[in-house]
Amino acid sequence: MARSRDRKTVPPGDAPRVIDQGSVWILVAAPSIWAAHFLLSYWVAAIWCAKLGRGTSLAEPRWIIAGLGGLCIAAIIGLAVLAIRRYGGVFVIFEEITESSERARDRFVGHLALLLCVLSAVAILFTVIPGMVLGEC
Amino acid sequence: MKSLASLALVLFLAGCEGRHNWLAAAGEEARSVETLFWVLLAGAAVIWSLVIGAATYAHRAEAKPEREQEARRFILWGGVALPVLVVGGLLVWGLLILRDITADDGALTVRVDGERWWWRVIYDTPEGLVTTANEIRLPLGERALFRLTADDVIHSFWVPALGGKMDMIPGRETTLALTPKRLGNWGGLCAEFCGGAHALMRFDAIVMEPEDFEAWLAHEAQPAQVDEGDPGFAVFDEEGCGACHTIRGTNAQGPVGPDLTHLAARDKLGAGIYEMTPETMARWITETHEMKPDIDMPAYPDLQGARLDALVTFLMSLE
Amino acid sequence: MTQEIDLSKLPPAEPYDKARDEAQRARLMKVWQTPTGWRRISAVNNSSVGKWYLLTSFAFFTFAGFLALLIRAQLAVPNNDLLSQGLYNQLFTLHGTAMMFLFAVPIFEAVAILILPEILGARDLPFPRLSAFGYWCFLIGGIFVCGSVFFGVAPDGGWFMYAPLSSDPDYSGLGADIWLLGLSFIEVSSIAAAVELIVGVLKSRPPGMRLNLIPLYCWYVLVVAGMILFAFPPLIAGDLLLEMERAFDWAFFDPDRGGDPLLWQHLFWIFGHPEVYIIFLPSIALIATILPTFAGRPMVGHSWIVLSAVGVAFLSFGLWVHHMFTTGLPEISLSFFSAASEAVSVPTGIQIFCFIATMLVSKVRRSVPMLFAGGALAIFVFGGLTGVMVALVPFDWQAHDSYFVVAHLHYTLIGGMLFPLFAGVHYWYPFVTQKKMSDKLGRWSFWLMFGGFNLTFLPMHWTGVMGMPRRVWTYDVTDGWAVLNMVSTVGAFIFAAGFVVLAVNVLWPRGKAPLVERNLWNAGTMEWSAEVPDKPWGVRSIPYIHTRYPLWEQKGLLGEMDRGEWFLPDAEEGKRELIITDILDARPLYVQRVGGPSYLTIGAAFCLGAVFILATFHLWTLTLLFGAGFAGFTLWWLWTGTAEIPEKSEKEAGRGLVLPTYAQGNSSPGWWAVFITMTGDMTAFMGLVFSYFFYWTALPDFLPGAAKLPGFGWLLLGLALLLAGWATGLLARERLARGGPAQAMALLLVGVPLGAAGVGAWCWAAWRAGLDATETSFDATVWVLILWLGLHLLLDAVMRLYVAARIWRGRCTPRYRADCVNLTLFTHFLALTAVVIFALLALFPMLMGVA
Repeated sequence: MARSRDRKTVPPGDAPRVIDQGSVWILVAAPSIWAAHFLLSYWVAAIWCAKLGRGTSLAEPRWIIAGLGGLCIAAIIGLAVLAIRRYGGVFVIFEEITESSERARDRFVGHLALLLCVLSAVAILFTVIPGMVLGEC
Repeated sequence: MKSLASLALVLFLAGCEGRHNWLAAAGEEARSVETLFWVLLAGAAVIWSLVIGAATYAHRAEAKPEREQEARRFILWGGVALPVLVVGGLLVWGLLILRDITADDGALTVRVDGERWWWRVIYDTPEGLVTTANEIRLPLGERALFRLTADDVIHSFWVPALGGKMDMIPGRETTLALTPKRLGNWGGLCAEFCGGAHALMRFDAIVMEPEDFEAWLAHEAQPAQVDEGDPGFAVFDEEGCGACHTIRGTNAQGPVGPDLTHLAARDKLGAGIYEMTPETMARWITETHEMKPDIDMPAYPDLQGARLDALVTFLMSLE
Repeated sequence: MTQEIDLSKLPPAEPYDKARDEAQRARLMKVWQTPTGWRRISAVNNSSVGKWYLLTSFAFFTFAGFLALLIRAQLAVPNNDLLSQGLYNQLFTLHGTAMMFLFAVPIFEAVAILILPEILGARDLPFPRLSAFGYWCFLIGGIFVCGSVFFGVAPDGGWFMYAPLSSDPDYSGLGADIWLLGLSFIEVSSIAAAVELIVGVLKSRPPGMRLNLIPLYCWYVLVVAGMILFAFPPLIAGDLLLEMERAFDWAFFDPDRGGDPLLWQHLFWIFGHPEVYIIFLPSIALIATILPTFAGRPMVGHSWIVLSAVGVAFLSFGLWVHHMFTTGLPEISLSFFSAASEAVSVPTGIQIFCFIATMLVSKVRRSVPMLFAGGALAIFVFGGLTGVMVALVPFDWQAHDSYFVVAHLHYTLIGGMLFPLFAGVHYWYPFVTQKKMSDKLGRWSFWLMFGGFNLTFLPMHWTGVMGMPRRVWTYDVTDGWAVLNMVSTVGAFIFAAGFVVLAVNVLWPRGKAPLVERNLWNAGTMEWSAEVPDKPWGVRSIPYIHTRYPLWEQKGLLGEMDRGEWFLPDAEEGKRELIITDILDARPLYVQRVGGPSYLTIGAAFCLGAVFILATFHLWTLTLLFGAGFAGFTLWWLWTGTAEIPEKSEKEAGRGLVLPTYAQGNSSPGWWAVFITMTGDMTAFMGLVFSYFFYWTALPDFLPGAAKLPGFGWLLLGLALLLAGWATGLLARERLARGGPAQAMALLLVGVPLGAAGVGAWCWAAWRAGLDATETSFDATVWVLILWLGLHLLLDAVMRLYVAARIWRGRCTPRYRADCVNLTLFTHFLALTAVVIFALLALFPMLMGVA
């Protein structure tokens, strides 16, 4: 990954950089994956139970939700790797990044993104639990 | 401090009685939640004391910049790891209880329809449907399945002593399973605000020995014993009460208001709010809207003297 | 465009020159002066609007609190007849409504408008007239809703207005209309404030304040304003459906016609639960700002707190069904929301642990604000713990709609919102007034309120355990609730006494009291850089920020600012000027000119208020007249006050920095405002899309037979026309940029009939299929989608005419074309809306094998 300190020659532009270095999308990516998984799980279960009636076994939705959860957590791990790279690869989770530089801003975003990845992964695990405990609609 | 302790004691003692009490352990479902309640309460007390204790200590303590790493570990373990484990564990436990207290069948099926502001109660028996109102009797130890509906607005069916509540939603049927474990007359309430006289929409939930219950239900299924030419029934008929109320065994077949076939056998009048006495009955007929504002039943203030007495006597004879 | 600027290597400031300093100050004063006398109401500067907002919110709080006392008085003894049943139902509905919509959310906006620009070292927010407009909307709407109680027609269906109680005119009267339209109007002002605050945090930061240096308060404001943007619109969609059913009998919530009362609950709580965090987070933000000051050191775990704010914001959108645990939804559905409700306690807790950790490593100065913050912690933690309890479905089946929940919600809101707010009042009072509040009265008010609060609400948990349902106006002595209720009532009056002490402390005239010293708390954040006595311009010059706590960490900063050594120290052109910076690193992008005092915003708010109020009474002709008046005032305001072509294309901003004076596209705040507003608009539209799929899931025969579906051919034709209209907008932008204003005008105008024809084709398709909105929920949904598009096309037409007129009059030129660029952005969203509606009406039924 390119380091921002090599970017002296790049004009700043005024658009928020969405994709490349300096992007902020990574901040909302992990919680958005949680939200997507949450809504999908809700829809799968709601439509399953609404269309098949009460007392229907939840065996299929359970594994759909868990499978989706696995995929989402894998995606979040991917994001976390990106975040760790931007953060700088040193896992000092309590570092205060207060320096005034592009690199520091980038590291801060990486740090924050990493924490959000952890939170989102935990929240996805929580979403998978109900299907495992409850057996039917 | 002492006054706080005595206040707590008063509250605690007050909580051990009361016919609407969740902690009366009168039903299996309520008992599951009761266990949960005490564990959560104790846990909450411990956590609250620890957090507030830590905050108080931190506020009073001298500056210790060298303890920054310690403070950060405190955030990591106390603020992240511990809560994740605690709430994760509680989630699983809560789900297990949920799985246990929901059921789709019961030894007895009771349909309850929420009306503004009373309860139409229909027992599903092998011999057919038995309609009554504002009082629900249940056999001890048998799981009753309530099938809940509403016609007008959303109501919610709640007997706190027996278990949780369930909304009654127009256009839907919801179900609730309750298994009574203690004899008694437990209070039932409407828990979802339904406008107007929501506060006065009550019922009695009476738990009986199974054999008593069977006898009661058999009696309830019978039509009323109304004498030919009963002067009270004549008043009932002339005033048009039968347009709204049903008294099985007579020509009064109105479907709008509560079924009155065995009215006087009920404990309460006006949807669980007044004692069933001739005096309250007379007031109910003449001063209806002072007794329960906004209800659809018209008051009959002109009905006085002998005619009123006859009507009340008749109604009180519907046992 | 701008060059790479290394702010740390700017040329040194010119030597101090007293005459120059005084001349600059005089010019700044002239430009930023607040109008005096009765003209003061035309003020738009954040310090004026913020103060009005704050006082108005507290006035509504006092009103709603008074209602609460009446409620408590009625419940003090069993079988009380102090209040009638009907009046009581109005009082508790209005208490909840006013506290939520007229106090808790507006006070966030009030505080943010008042202190956010100052914390950012800015002179104002990017759209001062929009804040003023929002304030007047709030005032008019609030008085309308609250005033209804004096005529006995206040809403009486509970503050969440469940259908069918609220949707069927047999069960609810004018009060429900007042609630719906009055609050929709206030929601407009909330969304206006949200747009303003998001753009403020993203684009109006001082040069150099990179993402990692943004004060915590600003993070919270950004997060909360973003939440408002996604939470309020679904309620607006719900309001639209409910009012269409009430006023025109459209079939949305009536089960006999394929409607479903639960849809309202979904739409309401998709708004309603994030709302709780919208209320809570800004107050926690106050503590996060106050605490470092008294601890005398930066917050421990800065990024953890940002994590919590962002995490809570997301998770809070996964909690809404926990208000619907007893509606008989499948247990598995409930459980997801139970899981998210438990998960949200993790980020919430992290913030509190960060606060404690900060105190742990520092010596905390005792003060009244910290006293309130401590009280807040004690109350809120308790409320959070009962929140963990009610998030468990079986527990909630007992607690739901009982006084346990009443106690729980007051613990979270008063601990999480009110006490931090009072801490903030004591903390920032000297910032606003340059006087100090009495510490003694402060302590008295704290202990009275803290004691009174706990005496009221702690026993209330037990009242709930004893089975008392909420919203009951009376109870019987045999219920066993009498003692507990009496205790609660006594507590409520003690609480109220504490508030009176606080109000006296705030409102006490301190004309002769000495001014406070500058930065009296020795805080690190920029709002305390204000001179004493304060000046209407906010900061003498806008500094370069390169630390998190500039007043602690940038030595000599105050002197440099005061001597005008930083940016925009002057107002040579007699215009109110701000610096707009970029999102990531706060590089200066351009100098924005903002509007000064104006009556246009008041006129626009008054007309819009009249529209909503008259619609309540179904006076349609007058409604239309005032609607035209609103459009007129708004266009006048935009015409004279926005996207003005500057007299010179760039200007010297100080320290050798030369910045453009005009921006368009995504470097201009206006573009961002359109983008953000339209994101909110899309969210409201998604509320309608959700309704469509909700009906489809809940009702087996929602989709009618092929004969009752709008014709595919007409729908396709309509879509083609609408997309052609969109293309004219794009082409107009391109032609204008390439120097063809005449072609651009022609293209813009052609788009109007294209759009009208497109929506006309859709109406025809629905009409031909015999769809009647009063018949079934499907018909009503189709018509409401078409209506939604029609309203947007109307707006589109007005904007096209406006931009064409701007081009004609030379106010929008090939070089300065912000208006045209913003219009195109709007049309992108319009095209997306049209495509989605087409998918719902034409493609989805086909996919389901109906067509």
